[in-house]
Amino acid sequence: MLSIISLSIFGIVNLFLGFLKSRRILLPATLLFLIVALILNSMDWNQQALYFGDMLRVNNVFVNFAGIVLITALLIVGISRHFGNDEEHTHPAEYYAILLFSVTGALMMIGFENLIMLFVGVEVLSVAMYVLTGTDKRNIRSNEAALKYFLMGSFATGLLLFGVAMVYGATGSFKLGGIASYVQMASMYGAVSPLLYVGLLFLFIGMLFKVSAAPFHFWTPDVYEGAPTIFTAFMSTVVKTAGFAAFYKIASTAFAGVYGFWAQSLAVMAVLTLLIGNITAAYQGSFKRMMAYSSISHAGYLLLAVVAKVPSSQSAILFYSLSYSLATVAAFGVLMAVSESRQFEGRGDDRYEAFNGLAKTNPLLAFVLTVSMLSLAGIPLTAGFWGKFFIFSAAVQANLTSLLVIAVLMSCVGIYYYFRVIIAMYLKPAEGEGISVSAGFTLTLVLTTVLTLLLGVFPDVVKNIF
Amino acid sequence: MQNQILYVWYLLTAVTILAALLVVLAKNPIHSVLSLVVTFFCLSAHYVLLNAQFLAVVNIIVYAGAIMVLFLFVIMFLNLREYTEETKSNFAKLGAAVVGGVTLVAIIAALKKVQYPMPMRYDVRTGFVETLGEVLFRDYLLPFELVTVLFFVAMVGAVMLGKREKGERHF
Amino acid sequence: MLPSLLICLALTLASVVVGVYAERKLSGFIQDRMGPTEVGPYGLLQLGADLIKLLQKEDIIPYLADRKLFLIAPGLIFTAVFLGYAVIPLGPDWIGSATSLGVFWLMAIVSLDVIGILMAGWASNNKYSLLGAMRSVAQIVSYEVPLGLVVLCVAMLNQSLDLQEISFGQGIYTPHPVYFFGIKSWGLDVTAAGGFLSWNIFRMPLFFVAFIIYFIASLAECNRAPFDLPEAESELVGGFHTEYSGFRWALVFLSEYAMMLLVSMLGVVLFLGSWNTPLPNIGPVRLADWTSGAPGTILGGITGLAWLLIKSAVLVFVQMWVRWTYPRLRVDQLMYLGWKVLTPAALLLVFLTGIWRLWMV
Repeated sequence: MLSIISLSIFGIVNLFLGFLKSRRILLPATLLFLIVALILNSMDWNQQALYFGDMLRVNNVFVNFAGIVLITALLIVGISRHFGNDEEHTHPAEYYAILLFSVTGALMMIGFENLIMLFVGVEVLSVAMYVLTGTDKRNIRSNEAALKYFLMGSFATGLLLFGVAMVYGATGSFKLGGIASYVQMASMYGAVSPLLYVGLLFLFIGMLFKVSAAPFHFWTPDVYEGAPTIFTAFMSTVVKTAGFAAFYKIASTAFAGVYGFWAQSLAVMAVLTLLIGNITAAYQGSFKRMMAYSSISHAGYLLLAVVAKVPSSQSAILFYSLSYSLATVAAFGVLMAVSESRQFEGRGDDRYEAFNGLAKTNPLLAFVLTVSMLSLAGIPLTAGFWGKFFIFSAAVQANLTSLLVIAVLMSCVGIYYYFRVIIAMYLKPAEGEGISVSAGFTLTLVLTTVLTLLLGVFPDVVKNIF
Repeated sequence: MQNQILYVWYLLTAVTILAALLVVLAKNPIHSVLSLVVTFFCLSAHYVLLNAQFLAVVNIIVYAGAIMVLFLFVIMFLNLREYTEETKSNFAKLGAAVVGGVTLVAIIAALKKVQYPMPMRYDVRTGFVETLGEVLFRDYLLPFELVTVLFFVAMVGAVMLGKREKGERHF
Repeated sequence: MLPSLLICLALTLASVVVGVYAERKLSGFIQDRMGPTEVGPYGLLQLGADLIKLLQKEDIIPYLADRKLFLIAPGLIFTAVFLGYAVIPLGPDWIGSATSLGVFWLMAIVSLDVIGILMAGWASNNKYSLLGAMRSVAQIVSYEVPLGLVVLCVAMLNQSLDLQEISFGQGIYTPHPVYFFGIKSWGLDVTAAGGFLSWNIFRMPLFFVAFIIYFIASLAECNRAPFDLPEAESELVGGFHTEYSGFRWALVFLSEYAMMLLVSMLGVVLFLGSWNTPLPNIGPVRLADWTSGAPGTILGGITGLAWLLIKSAVLVFVQMWVRWTYPRLRVDQLMYLGWKVLTPAALLLVFLTGIWRLWMV
């Protein structure tokens, strides 16, 4: 609870810091704010509390998810080195403030206990993302991405709200507990209101849009490609983590009584997401676009855990989100460094070719990206392997064999496209000269790599917490 | 009295549906927006019938007064007088028809089967400002406060995106 | 309900009749000339002549205009303004709709006017009309913010959105004790004295500022000079009603004067004691009692209406005075005033009123 309050105040403080002449203070200040929020968040450990008349539930799950979101945000702020130094980014205070506000939204989505809170959280996070997508004002792709994201996103939010209204109409409650008890009772007597089913579907569609699961993924590639890379990293990690936290919470608590109804359709969507995400990713010529499709495919794996809905699903989702976030931040960080120094057709080069021979010019960056790709592909000794392992074992517990087969096959496809960039880096001849990066940037990237490897070798350290 | 209210209700509902249909069917975007304003008005009238006066007035102020005016403003600037039929592929049209139709059927089917429970008690004061204020500032205090974050983000974002940059020229 | 409807209809019609004549005479006086003198004594019949001319004129619809919208728009503008009269308390007993949301309703009405103006401007298919409509809308939407905030101050102090309740609070028939300058700790109870001492503008000294903000914003809401950019005749011919003629033009004009009267009445209700007498009881000289009838009696209704109209007429007079005194603002000056001066000031007032309400009352 304190973390939410403090973050919303810190955001405002950040805006005031923008009045200062020197912009150098913004980055350390934001890092400090996030660390304070992280500490406040960890103080809630082992405390069960409902705040403000059952609006927000703080428990260990909240602390864990919020921790992942905050750490990811920290890492992303750590690699945001260019704000304020160049012409393109002229409003660093606003960027950081909106980042902090969006983290507030993410925390609301994680801790909500009332559908109103879910809606407000989703909106805060989404509106912040719409704005950040369009921050590169002179880039027509950024403009297009922002508009597209906004239009489709607000449509999805409309569906979400419509769903909430119908669920309320059926159950007479916005509270997760109230809905759950209604669903329990009604399904016991076989008298579930049809309004609930329609509402549930609408609600799920809204949520699935936010986590970019197929068939609601059409916005993802364009938006990810058009947005400034740093915000793409934010979008694909924080939004996804918060989205799945909310999604799993609502599916496993409020609608647990009608599991049979939604599990079927979600299973179909999971398969679709896995197929579309992985197969399309293999065809991409741009690394950034490939990462967009890969984020869709990861949504598919996470959906698998939601469909399974066994007690271990929760920790599987947590672990997967963490490993995925770490690897994604590293990948986008390296992409940022590379595409900013290599131009193609008048803008930053984000094709695979841009990475040619990176191992010779910048071995450290190449290593970071390699570890991140291995983790995303799910190769042993990286965090990604254990993430997939936990998810698959949850699926095994739920007897989802056919789904599992598809998921395993698709992760083999994943290896193909993740390795393309590794091959480009190590086996292709170098083109440009070396890329110079700042110390803080390197440190952040190395940190993500170390964490990824640590989680890969000792998954139990974190798994025991979750 | 009961019957009169019923007649008013039927009349209002008929106008609402007509206006809503006009929003979709009107060729001219300005006519669409104006029909939407009429629709909002009729909805407000429905709120009044339900004794939710505050909601009715808020609906007029926010939707008819502010949002729709901005809509009109923008559309008039765009000068869409000559309506050009956008060419969409038949496949897209078919898909849209199927999806829209299925959604409509699903909602209608659900609504038809729903049995509305009679309210436990009928409180005249439910829609009053005082009651609303009490609910808002007691039960829903947290979302109410956090919505400010939402508005703040939207405001900061709008100013940031709309602000003229160095060397940038409008018009 | 019916008497107030009839009174309001008569009022709006009379307001344009009296208003136009007064405006012409007044502008003549201010500019040191005579105004209308030829038709009738003191030019009094000029108005009838004008009216007959207007009604006789051909109702021209431009060839390329959007016919339907063009025809509806003036009616819509007038309806919107006239709807506002529904919640104005004309006396202790006469009010169209005794809704508990009077002020709120009026704010909605003011914003509705805009749609009619936009319709008229756009449907005319004339660039001057469109420009005028755009300016008008930008202006009305901008000045609605300080207007709404100032009205909120009054609602906060009176703890009500009901205009009749606000009215009762400002006279000798108030159910609550009224203190001098609203400061309880001085212990000067002026409840029995009534008169201007219990007006809102006196009960809370800061409302002087609030009233000035209200007045400026209301000028902008009526598109009156110095905020008459929407119909700036030297640049836009006639603004959004350039293409209108005859009866429809008369209707547009009628709504403008009706709007002036409406905002003046609202200003009187909110700040200047509504239908209450301005004369206080001073010891044995019971001026307030003598000049106002008790609620429920016919005398009460008549005196209430009379006081309300007199005070509103004074405000309308000030509006005209301002028009013939100050030059027109530029668009950027208008926006600057609205957003950077009035809105922050109004926000500050809301804050201070909140503190006042908590500590002083």
